[in-house]
This record gives sequence, structure tokens and C-alpha cells, in this order.
Amino acid sequence: MTAWGLAWRTVISNPARAVLAMIGVAVIGALLFNMLLLSRGMLVSFRDLLDSAGYDIRVTGQGSALHRVPIADATSLADAIRQLPGVQQVALIRTDDASAFVAGRDRSPVIIAFVGTTANAVGSAWDLVKGASLQEHPIPSDPPEIIVNVNLAQEFHLEPGSELRLRISAPGSASAMPPVTYRVAGIGNARFESVDEYAATTTLAGFDAAHGGEGHDAAEIVLIASRPGVSASENVAAIDRLRPGLRAMSNDQVLEQFNEHAFTYFRQISTVLSALTLAFAFLLVATLLTISVNQRLGEVAALRALGFSRRRIATNLLCESALLVGVGGLTALPLGGVLAIWLDRILRHMPGVPERIHFFVFEPRTVVLHAALMAATGILAALYPIWLAARLPIAATLRSEIVS
Amino acid sequence: MTPAAAPLIEGRDLTRQFPMAAGAVTALNHASIRIEAAEYVAITGPSGCGKSTLLHLLGCVDQPSSGSLTFEGRDVARLNETERSRIRLTRIGFVFQRFFLLPMLTAWENVELPQAEAGVSRSERRSRTRELLEYVGLADRLDHRPSQLSGGEMQRVAIARALANRPALLLADEPTGELDEITGDQIADLFDRVHADGTAIVVVTHNATVAARAGRRLAMKSGRIVEG
Repeated sequence: MTAWGLAWRTVISNPARAVLAMIGVAVIGALLFNMLLLSRGMLVSFRDLLDSAGYDIRVTGQGSALHRVPIADATSLADAIRQLPGVQQVALIRTDDASAFVAGRDRSPVIIAFVGTTANAVGSAWDLVKGASLQEHPIPSDPPEIIVNVNLAQEFHLEPGSELRLRISAPGSASAMPPVTYRVAGIGNARFESVDEYAATTTLAGFDAAHGGEGHDAAEIVLIASRPGVSASENVAAIDRLRPGLRAMSNDQVLEQFNEHAFTYFRQISTVLSALTLAFAFLLVATLLTISVNQRLGEVAALRALGFSRRRIATNLLCESALLVGVGGLTALPLGGVLAIWLDRILRHMPGVPERIHFFVFEPRTVVLHAALMAATGILAALYPIWLAARLPIAATLRSEIVS
Repeated sequence: MTPAAAPLIEGRDLTRQFPMAAGAVTALNHASIRIEAAEYVAITGPSGCGKSTLLHLLGCVDQPSSGSLTFEGRDVARLNETERSRIRLTRIGFVFQRFFLLPMLTAWENVELPQAEAGVSRSERRSRTRELLEYVGLADRLDHRPSQLSGGEMQRVAIARALANRPALLLADEPTGELDEITGDQIADLFDRVHADGTAIVVVTHNATVAARAGRRLAMKSGRIVEG
């Protein structure tokens, strides 16, 4: 009988203890799996979100994340960037808050995130569910076109062709801007919108219309897509040379910055909780194995008297530990997966978090890391019981077993 | 003149002391013993006289505080733990008062286990295990676990297990201590057969009937062999 076979028979000889141990390890393992998913999930998801927009460089004005100065002379900047040999596509993004309402309807206005952009950027930032995208060259006499998100469409029962009025909001005071009528071209979901957010996007001309028709030629963000084979960092360097006062960052740099600042809290929490869950797993398995060995001292001493080597006794205990941790750890994966989906759903409803950001993202490396950590825990947990059994004084134990 | 044949095991001037808080306790006091191959020796004496301690020394599971022990001509003190384990596995069989069978294994598996540990091939293990369980009269109990066997049956499985690797020496510590008189006699009968088949036996016992069957009887008192 192999060490694995003997270990399995030993484990199942006390089914209640084995099941409780495995359930315990499974629950702890599920929490560990969640912590590991959380430790990188948001980062991976954020990367996917950035990449899915189809642009690999973002240029913004100077300032903090809360207040960033718009980029002046945005059109000339975009033209200059477009001339760079490594650049394939450039889009300007303008953002503002606006109140939206439908004329003649007894419904309060709602505040929306209002975006103006070049038409070619719409397709990469929106998933249309109804209607069409913005026209590249709309007829000037028609109301400007707009794409609204599903939340906004449901709020005002909008359909493609419906009209929606927008008035630019002035924070903390009543807006003096006249409302402007837009025609809904399409309804969709913006990639960066949060769950309960209202959002709409239009062309830069449409955006200017809401601002009284004055073209400020400014932009909050300039998005750049590099040509295939050209590294984003080369283009970033070229853009820095074009307009030194701006902040040009590749997706990698954005991600790196996010990792170093915003995400560091998640990573720290995840590390602490992972260490705690591992400590619980260690204590659980070590305690159960120690109890098990203490209950079997006579058996162990008899096996040693019969010529079983210390190594064989140690191998048996290691196999027992591996079985408890292995079966529990495997059960932990589906359990942790279900738990992760549930927790992810809760966290994604946090205000201001883009709906497409996931906090728990499955990666094969997470399963490998989980398995490695659980295996290490199993080995560590078996060390004390192994030491106990291997150093057992055979004669004294046999004697005390008889006396007891 | 031919030299005398080497004994199977020989202990000279064996002393075993156990350190205690109140001072060392001498369990075995300058005891000397020589067991020849295929000999049957019974060790008797009152509780605490050092019988089991002597048996543990002979079985290489304990080491004397002083004195020397040779097994098949090899000085046991010079052997490392792995070598002593190997001797116990292949040359010595142990039978305990409380059987110490592995409760999760069947009779068959309990007997097969030491053979697997010794590296005996699967086919050889199979035939040896069957042969041994038939030898101890348990051919119809192969798949029974210890909890499904009587005390006498468990001790017979334990004897089969002790004989699994064809040891030269069988050590038994109160093998009938947990059994009734009739079952104890059956176990003693089994020892007679084992001895008749050429295995040396050293049995520590309080049972006069079992002791009477041995070819040589040693009496112990206060850690010394006083009669033999």
C-alpha cells in the first residue's frame, strides 16, 4: 500500500473529522482565492477597459485628478499629433455636466455626464443597442445628434429619433445657458459609465452648441492610437516634444500609476487578508493532524517497532495533510468563484465605478498561486505533527500505551 | 576444536536507566542474555521487574544506558536509526499485548503492509499474505477489519504481521495479556508452531502456561535476571 493509499484510508477512517476539516479548508481556501482574485482583479479589468477603447495614449492638461486644466488649442494639437509617423488615429474628448429633460413632459431634469468627441471615437467608447452612431458630417440645419445611455433612455422613454434637451450645468448655481435640443441617434452603453449614471455623447460641434455655439477649441483629453508595430512610449516621447506642458501617458503608464497609488490599498488589504486566511488554514490543519497523531501514538510507535522508518511515517502524515488541503483546496475553487461573482456584483454597484470594471478577475496564474500557497500551507501544517511522530520514543510510548 | 556458533542476539551487562525528577530509575541492572537461533525463551517476573525493557532492547527499539548488544554478530550500538529500522523490519517481528493493528486496514492489508515497506514484490506479497493468514487460521477473515475481529483473531493477525518478512526472531510482550485462557492457549499453540518452523521466540509473559511451553525460562526481579 502506498503512502497515499494509507493516508487516504487514515483520513476516511474518521469521516466526520475528515469532512469537517475539508469543509474548513474549502471555506478558508475560497476566501484566499477571493483575496488573490481581488489582489489583481481591478488592475487586469482596468487594463482591459483601457485597451478596449482602442487608444493606447492619453494626453491631458496639467493639474490634479480632481481638477485638470483643459488643453488649449486642442484642434491644432490633434492635427500635429496626427502628423506623427507612429500615430494612426486621434480623438478629442470634452466633458461637462448637463441637465437633461424632455420638453412638454412633466418630469424633473436629471444631471448627466455630457461628452463631446470626434465621431470616430464613439464606436470604441460605446456599445450601441439601438439606433445608429453619430454622423461624421451632419446636416447643419438639423438638431445635433446625440447618443444616450440606456439609463437615460429609460428615464425619459427615449427612442432613436426622440428629442432631448440639454442645458450645461454650472456647479453650485443656476445655469444661464439656454437649453439646446438634440435628436437621439442611438442608445447604448458607454464603456466608462457607472451602474446608475446618466450619460450622453455628441460631436464636438454638438458639444459647442450646448455651450452657446462658441468653439473654445479645448479638450479635456486627447486620445491617440499608435500604428501597429509602433510602441506607445515612442509616441509619448514625440508628443512630449510637441507640447511639453501636457501630460501624455501610455496605457501602461496609466496602469502603473493606478497600481502605485489607487490600487495599492486593495493590494495591501488583499495581502493582509490572504495572510490571515493562510494562517487559519495552517492552524486548522496543524491542529487536526496533531490531534490525530496524538490519538494514534500507540499505532505510530508500533509501526516504528515493526521497522517503519521515520521517513515513511513522515511521508504518511504529509500525504494526510496534502489530502485534507488538496480536497479542501479544490473545493475552494468553485466555492470561491461563486463568492467572487456575488461580491463583484455588489462592488460594481458602488457609485462612480465604471460598470465594466471588475474587482474579481479570473486568471490562470491565480489558480496556480492558490495551489502553491495551499500546498505550502499543507506542508507547514504537517511539520509539527511529523516532528511529533518521527521523534516519538518507541519503547516509552509502547510502555505508556500499555499502562494507560 | 571448532568455535561456538554466533548467537542470534546477545546482550552483555545491559543496564537501562530512565532519568526522573527524583533521580534515575534503573529498570534493567547489568543483565546478560544470549538467544540462539530457533530458540524459544520465556521471560517471567513481577510487574516492573524490567521484562519489557529487556524485550525493547532486544528488539532494537531502545538503547541500553550501558552494556553491549549484538544482533547476528553486529554491534547494535554502532548502527544508525535507518539500519536499526531495517533490522526490525526484516529480521525481527514484534507482537504486542494490545495488538496495535491499523484499524482502517483489513487483516490482509495489515499483514501485507510490512512486506510492502520491505520492498517485497506485489505477487510475492499476495502469496505470502495468504499463506500467513491461512497459517494463523484466518483464511476466512481476510477482508475483516480489526473492529470486526475478536481479541484472539486480532492477535493472530498481529502474529501473521510479525512473521510477514520471515524474521529470525519473534518478540512478544504479554501476547495473551488481553485474552481469555482458551484463546491464550490457542495463541500459545501458534507460537509453538512458529518455533517449530525455525523462528526464535522471546516471549515476556505472566502466563505460566505460555512460559511452560518455552525451551528456556528466565525469571527477572528488580531489573536482574535471577533464574535461567
